[in-house]
Amino acid sequence: MDLKEERDLVRKAKKDPQAFSELYEKYYSQIFGYILKRVANLEISQDVTSETFLKALKNLWQFRWQNVPFSSWLYIIANNEIVNYFRKQKGKKISLEKITEPMSADNIEMEFMEAQEKLEKHKDFLKAQEKISKLDTKYQEVIVLRFFEKKQIKEISEILGKKEGTIKSLLHRGMEKLKDYFFETL
Amino acid sequence: MREEDLIKKLEEISLPKIEIKSHKERLSLALIKKYPPERKRAEVFNIFKKLVPAGVIAVILFFFIFNNLNSQKYNLVKAKEIALQNNEIKDWLQQGSTIKDIKVIDGKAYILIEPPEAKKEQREPTPASLKSEGVFQENIAEEEKFGGALAEVDIKEKRVSSIEKLAPTVTNLIENKKEKALEIANKSREVEEIIPEEAEILDINVSTPKFRLSKEGDSVSVIPETETEEKASIIYQSDGNRWEGKINLNEERVEKVNFLGEIQNDATIDK
Repeated sequence: MDLKEERDLVRKAKKDPQAFSELYEKYYSQIFGYILKRVANLEISQDVTSETFLKALKNLWQFRWQNVPFSSWLYIIANNEIVNYFRKQKGKKISLEKITEPMSADNIEMEFMEAQEKLEKHKDFLKAQEKISKLDTKYQEVIVLRFFEKKQIKEISEILGKKEGTIKSLLHRGMEKLKDYFFETL
Repeated sequence: MREEDLIKKLEEISLPKIEIKSHKERLSLALIKKYPPERKRAEVFNIFKKLVPAGVIAVILFFFIFNNLNSQKYNLVKAKEIALQNNEIKDWLQQGSTIKDIKVIDGKAYILIEPPEAKKEQREPTPASLKSEGVFQENIAEEEKFGGALAEVDIKEKRVSSIEKLAPTVTNLIENKKEKALEIANKSREVEEIIPEEAEILDINVSTPKFRLSKEGDSVSVIPETETEEKASIIYQSDGNRWEGKINLNEERVEKVNFLGEIQNDATIDK
């Protein structure tokens, strides 16, 4: 889907819930994956992803197309929601059951446990993420987007609304700090 | 560890590709359920957003007008207050004069003071007043003292900056009216037939002109009020008899000639 098609879909999504569902289908995995790489916790990832898409729906009618992918806007919301989660909502779970019909708890639990097992297998990732999470949020954002989301500097600058030079500098300083953390443990 | 090594290390990390389908489905359902109320809310918000600028303008306009009206009202009250502290004006008002009109321009108020109405009415001749002409003359003399005035009040300095008496203007206007009344009477056949040629004119009564303030740009002027019915009366006397000719100045005609009766010999009457 090119930018023009995506712009039309976003426009349509403001009138048609089906079009919004298409956007959701397209970006759910990407946003969930990004949040998971930022927090390395499945439960928090689910909560923050839910909050991100609910916020996106709430603000969809205020969204102005600025020739950048819709995902950039979702990343911005996700970043804010991660910060919000740890600042205000720590421990406060978002219950989708309150909004939707409850599903079989057994199935959900089983699926969750399988996902948890999968996550635990990525030991290197969990170790690296633990160190990244010690950095300031501004460094966490650029490092995760650059090395885990494989985004280009230009894309990161669009997502974070900062100049490319600023992103490079943040990346460099973040890596310097991260190097120290890695050095401590190695 | 060098930065390049760290970059390489990070790039080589095997990343989790996890998806929890049940969460995705439940969230999808939640979003579909929340879509209509959110859309409605957004529409209401959009209408509100459009109405806000209009509302703000309306509120500003309302306050501007309200403030303006209030400050005008305040200035009028203040000007009246200042004027009432002036002894001359205070005396006129105590003698029955009234404040007819106030206009405010650039921090200055112009106050028109009108002489008492009752005194003017006394000028209308009656047979009784004719019998005691001395009192009648006295009334005229008193009224000539004050024929109205225009006071200028400096609101900022809280003082009456000038008082202009309208007596000369009033006298001129009265004289003009008298001349006109006489001219009409002299041309009237009714007067010619009823009143003896040798009759002398004792008095010509005309109504005292009323004034109002007129605001033109940055200045205020006193102008006479146009009267709907301007009337005059001329008192004639001949051989101890008196007549009154009533004249309509607007229509330029004599309305009636009344015989007022014979004059008794009174010590107070010289003539």
